[in-house]
Amino acid sequence: MDRKTNFAATLNDALADEMSALVERVQRSLVVVRVGKHGVGAGVIWRRDGLIVTNQHVAGHHSLFGRAHLQVTLADGRDFPARLLAQDPEIDLALLQIDDQDSPAAQIADSRAVRVGQLILAVGHPWGQLGFVTAGVVSGLSQAQTRGPRGSVDIIRSDVSLAPGNSGGPLVNAGGGVIGINTMIVGGDLGVAIPTQVINSFVEGVLGDLTLPARRSRVETEKLV
Amino acid sequence: MSQSNDNNPLIALSDAMAEAVAKAGAATLLVDARRRLPASGIALSADTLLTADHVIERDDDLGVMLPDGSQLTASVAGRDSGSDLALLRVKGATLAPAEPAPQPARVGQLVLALGRPTPEGIQASQGVVSAIGGPVRTGRGGLLENYIRTDAIPYPGFSGGPLIDAAGRVLGVNTSGLARGMALTIPAGLAWQVAAALAEHGSVRRGYLGVRSQPVDLPPTQKQALGRDQNTGLLLVGIEDDGPAAQAGLLVGDILVGIAGQPVSDPDELLARLVGALVGQPTPVEVLRGGQRITITVKIGERK
Repeated sequence: MDRKTNFAATLNDALADEMSALVERVQRSLVVVRVGKHGVGAGVIWRRDGLIVTNQHVAGHHSLFGRAHLQVTLADGRDFPARLLAQDPEIDLALLQIDDQDSPAAQIADSRAVRVGQLILAVGHPWGQLGFVTAGVVSGLSQAQTRGPRGSVDIIRSDVSLAPGNSGGPLVNAGGGVIGINTMIVGGDLGVAIPTQVINSFVEGVLGDLTLPARRSRVETEKLV
Repeated sequence: MSQSNDNNPLIALSDAMAEAVAKAGAATLLVDARRRLPASGIALSADTLLTADHVIERDDDLGVMLPDGSQLTASVAGRDSGSDLALLRVKGATLAPAEPAPQPARVGQLVLALGRPTPEGIQASQGVVSAIGGPVRTGRGGLLENYIRTDAIPYPGFSGGPLIDAAGRVLGVNTSGLARGMALTIPAGLAWQVAAALAEHGSVRRGYLGVRSQPVDLPPTQKQALGRDQNTGLLLVGIEDDGPAAQAGLLVGDILVGIAGQPVSDPDELLARLVGALVGQPTPVEVLRGGQRITITVKIGERK
């Protein structure tokens, strides 16, 4: 092999190694969300103290089935009953809490630094295949119309192929940082993710409301018993 | 942040791809010339841009939006439906021209398709070069010597936009208007050639010989007379009265094997050669007649 071929082969190996290490890292903070006997959705461990972000349309129907039916399975196989802390149908987000103080939290990246064309991975459970990985690039940064007081929300579009079961799973950058949560709120053939910036303000809003019970929020918050 | 790891090739690749999109995106423009969703265009010079011919549905009031959001009015400098390319001129503009790739696309190469059909910003999809095809007749009197197929998603409004390599250089022009809606990419070399012809003449001139022909295998003796490794030629089975071929003295039974110093072994190759500068010019046509190789000068006509 000449030097150029040699370098290319080494580079390919290095890329493959980085990719598999990255996928392994991301899968650790990916959870399976089950509601009753319905299919599976995905979720991301947002904080070490057991806070999990998923899609509203994945977790939101749980009140129909009762609290015990909302269940979360971690990548290490542990099962937890989950509480629905809050949900916001307008941006398709839900915040869950499990009783675990040492959860493998995801690395959260700043979605404001996202650029069109950058490499991304989506991880989820499409058609029930757990931890399934698809790769692509950020296709566009735009806004989607919403039905609610916001009117619109920032979204990240990607060309990764998504299917039911990817909902609630992370969209991650080449460093393994979560830049958004895949969702299905908008139709079309483009994958759509809610950026972490939007998710962070949702999470902070919920937590702020929980510590200041008097304050009303747009977010529909369940009372903690 | 912990992500700025210079030794991670995955991050380096990701950064390079985003950089490539930023670079080529600066030369990717919105072209508003049809009723439905606008399409895309590629800046060729400070005041010209290339787009797909099929996205031009009107001749005036063509809108062009630059990456910075400024809106300009363009006029049609030339169109060629045969290759589905159109050249637009934007008076007084200072567009940032795209850089064509120095090498043709290769199968397996990492590519990005870009488009700017909305004011919201550049759009991209990623894939690899799946195949290089051609020649193919386009059904509009044109012939693409070759074309690029990729597995990048052709989003609505991507027609007229660039296919780029990982360094942001243009490998070709994407269009869904040539092959019944199937997306393909016109190679940059060909697209730039067509653009030059459009800038000069306003159209791509296609030549006319006035012959009917069919491909035939060359017998060993004929090949010997030709003196090169060429297995087929075009047997002339009809010569149009008063056509360029008749006037130059070509005869039924001649086997056409070359034109303008280039070998011709099938009808598509002849069609491909009969384009551009040689139209209207006395051009050497190489034929086999009675086992001899002879060269006859034909003044190529123009096909209307």
